[in-house]
Amino acid sequence: MQAPHREHLYKLLVIGDLGVGKTSIIKRYVHQNFSSHYRATIGVDFALKVLHWDPETVVRLQLWDIAGQERFGNMTRVYYREAMGAFIVFDVTRPATFEAVAKWKNDLDSKLTLPNGKPVSVVLLANKCDQGKDVLLNNGLKMDQFCKEHGFVGWFETSAKENINIDEASRCLVKHILANECDLMESIEPDVVKPHLASPKVVSCSSCAKS
Amino acid sequence: MADSLPTEFDVVIIGTGLPESILAAACSRSGQRVLHVDSRSYYGGNWASFSFSGLLSWLKECQQNSNVGEEGTATWQDLIDETEEAITLRKEDATIQHTEVFCYVGQDVEDNVQEVGALQKNPSSVESSILTLDSACLPEERHTSYLTSYEVPGTNTQKSDRELSPEVTDTEEWLEKEKYCEDKTCVYTVSDGEKDENKLRVKDNTDKPKKNRISYSQIVKEGRRFNIDLVSKLLYSQGSLIDLLIKSNVSRYAEFKNVTRILAFREGKVEQVPCSRADVFNSKELTMVEKRMLMKFLTFCLDYEQHPDEYQAFEQCLFSEYLKTKKLTPNLRHFILHSIAMTSESSCSTLDGLKATKTFLQCLGRFGNTPFLFPLYGQGEIPQCFCRMSAVFGGIYCLRHKVQCFVVDRESGRCKAIIDHFGQRINAKYFIVEDSYLSEEACSTVQYRQISRAVLITDQSILKTESDQQVSILIVPPVEPGACAVRVMELCSATMTCMKDTYLVHLTCSSSKTAREDLESVVKKLFTPYAEAEIDKEELTKPQLLWALYFNMRDSSGINRSSYNGLPSNVYVCSGPDCELGNDHAVKQAETLFQEIFPNEEFCPPPPNPEDIIFDGDDKQPEASGTSNIKMAKLESSKESKSLESPGKHFQN
Ligand SMILES: Cc1cc2nc3c(=O)[nH]c(=O)nc-3n(C[C@H](O)[C@H](O)[C@H](O)COP(=O)(O)OP(=O)(O)OC[C@H]3O[C@@H](n4cnc5c(N)ncnc54)[C@H](O)[C@@H]3O)c2cc1C
Ligand SMILES: Nc1nc2c(ncn2[C@@H]2O[C@H](COP(=O)(O)OP(=O)(O)OP(=O)(O)O)[C@@H](O)[C@H]2O)c(=O)[nH]1
Ligand SMILES: [Mg+2]
Repeated sequence: MQAPHREHLYKLLVIGDLGVGKTSIIKRYVHQNFSSHYRATIGVDFALKVLHWDPETVVRLQLWDIAGQERFGNMTRVYYREAMGAFIVFDVTRPATFEAVAKWKNDLDSKLTLPNGKPVSVVLLANKCDQGKDVLLNNGLKMDQFCKEHGFVGWFETSAKENINIDEASRCLVKHILANECDLMESIEPDVVKPHLASPKVVSCSSCAKS
Repeated sequence: MADSLPTEFDVVIIGTGLPESILAAACSRSGQRVLHVDSRSYYGGNWASFSFSGLLSWLKECQQNSNVGEEGTATWQDLIDETEEAITLRKEDATIQHTEVFCYVGQDVEDNVQEVGALQKNPSSVESSILTLDSACLPEERHTSYLTSYEVPGTNTQKSDRELSPEVTDTEEWLEKEKYCEDKTCVYTVSDGEKDENKLRVKDNTDKPKKNRISYSQIVKEGRRFNIDLVSKLLYSQGSLIDLLIKSNVSRYAEFKNVTRILAFREGKVEQVPCSRADVFNSKELTMVEKRMLMKFLTFCLDYEQHPDEYQAFEQCLFSEYLKTKKLTPNLRHFILHSIAMTSESSCSTLDGLKATKTFLQCLGRFGNTPFLFPLYGQGEIPQCFCRMSAVFGGIYCLRHKVQCFVVDRESGRCKAIIDHFGQRINAKYFIVEDSYLSEEACSTVQYRQISRAVLITDQSILKTESDQQVSILIVPPVEPGACAVRVMELCSATMTCMKDTYLVHLTCSSSKTAREDLESVVKKLFTPYAEAEIDKEELTKPQLLWALYFNMRDSSGINRSSYNGLPSNVYVCSGPDCELGNDHAVKQAETLFQEIFPNEEFCPPPPNPEDIIFDGDDKQPEASGTSNIKMAKLESSKESKSLESPGKHFQN
């Protein structure tokens, strides 16, 4: 087998109100399973999903779930830092979670920009569509309008339970990120040290280390 | 974002500085229910870093502190019963003093320049504060009133040693409207006294500035590129913080740059100190003989314990005296004393000097050719990394959350709860509080030291080389013996702490006077105030100062727990930042307190690899891999079983 030519690693944020299904979506997407048993997410930092995008390209997605601090709107910069895209999730059965969407989006845009100053790509997920209560969404046109107004690159009705549209939503987000990335090449930082437990190597370019 | 806070916790931590944040991570990690609060709107307390506008807001806040209103706070008196008493906490921060700001660059500012894309969590207060500071810099007529000793462009010139220190009386006039502040933030606009011809040129050029000329409005606009640390520290690459970051895997949240150069200041000149073997051999400054002497001495230092005969007789002497006996040239002695051992002429014993030299040499080469690392985006990231770790393990975070008092049970003398500014009572078993939150009463007998700090934005490096992206540290020895050495750290834009074409320079020393009095002489030696006009390249040897801030920060490290009055035994105190270069104090303190509170728990063990977490199906039993003991998420033993290699193994060169 030919080794792929290009590899991308993208950090994606998964944001949204309490209990909208963030963890379930990640779990479905990365681990292909679902549990109807709810418990507040603890101990989960990010999960990794590898996509064979095309024969030449491998895309690794780091999906960052939010942790306890977000409950009260005090995310650390560490969470946002260098993210390339985001999913904002709401629960179609709870209109209040949709009302929070614009707030999450504003919050995100104020804290995170691409190195070129543009906002990151964000896809809106209307989750739990299996519940058949998607009153909000019967009007697709309105949703399109909403996305346009608030700068989402797209929206999907998803179900973590029935595995509906999650792959599609992710593909949409990755497509936009890849398209954006061409003009971001200059942002790559050489000479960065990342001390790690497993591989304490210096991630750096030795030719720059002259002095 | 939920709004109701649980009321039962195991540990409540007040303050988000480094030791508190490490403790938060350690406690959550070991399964404790942690509430971590900070009264401020940002993480880190005095360990925070700010964007440019963020820093201006912070300054404003320091200034307004003594003026905080009581509105909106519920009274705690009604919330405790007769079996209880309250220990109130301090309402405002008293750790920052003598803030002074100097702006040297042109104020060609349209009034409303704003940081691009800046997030302001607290729009009303932040915006107004920026305005006030700006306008303090702006109005022309004010220049003349308080800058009597300086020249305003366009009037006559007087090239002189500019003292950047108008007497406070000069500034009183415009500070009048801010009389309420005890601790004045003085903002000076310093115009440069240039030759007449230059002046004229400036006028002609005002609307098309030369390339690389940086204006105040550019700094404001690009303000988000700045991450300006309140403390200036580095990580020793073999130090306890790096070890902790690696061990706990909190390092996954942080990235670092190597400090690329160690500099020395000698006879009015900045030069690079060769410290690695390769550096020594490649050095052009050293003669062949010096190279051999230096290598011989450094090799000895690496295992000096094995050669007691070489130093035993001098153990009680000063290190500087000892060096004189070692056949080293003055040049080399200076390098070793100030730049490698980083100590001073008159205060360091031979044994301490040898130990410091050895530490330095051992740290060399672990990640790069100096012993130090600097966190990308600033030191202020590090507490946040630990907070993220704590949050991932269920720690609940509330910024802008003030605590009014501890509730103490009279009978047992133990603290039972806190009461917050909403009048909510939150119960816990243990309480950790940062020194600055304690009331004056509790600290009345505590003797604090002070740290003097300066933050400069400059246009060039203090030692130019082909690469303009250097991260340098320089120790400037004191002029008079007995005074303190000044530590200078110069950061380039690649560290993500300043905008392109500028440098961020931090100066630090332990205080004997105000920060400006302690540090200004060093600033003057290394920099020259910004000149509006293009000067001949040759003429301009020193980097120019664009903007400067001085302040004093309280140093609460090294204070004995027993110096605080009347604290219950289950209230633990963390100190604010210390003056040292490394972070050992904070790490040590966090670990010691953790072990005191939870003697049987492991301190910050590695969390499971995210790739190894499988979410529990409802039916399956948890299975955990050997090293990680995780309460909620469950682990699959990892396929390529990541053994914990001893990190040391990789770094022997
Ligand atoms: C290339 C590049 C990439 C970046 N990527 C990211 C990224 O991915 N994610 C990211 O978050 N940031 C990123 N930043 C940094 C970003 O510009 C801000 O520093 C960050 O968004 C602030 O987030 P916060 O709300 O968590 O910080 P907070 O600490 O909550 O503060 C928000 C801002 O206001 C200031 N501030 C808040 N309250 C006060 C107060 N009371 N007094 C004074 N100042 C105050 C802070 O200094 C800060 O600038 C990046 C910067 C660059 C240059
Ligand atoms: N019917 C249905 N239920 C779902 C779906 N997605 C999630 N849920 C349920 O919604 C509840 C919350 O899901 P989580 O994934 O834990 O939500 P979260 O956003 O991660 O919650 P927090 O981490 O607490 O903020 C769980 O009981 C899930 O089983 C879905 O697509 N359909
Ligand atoms: Mg979750």
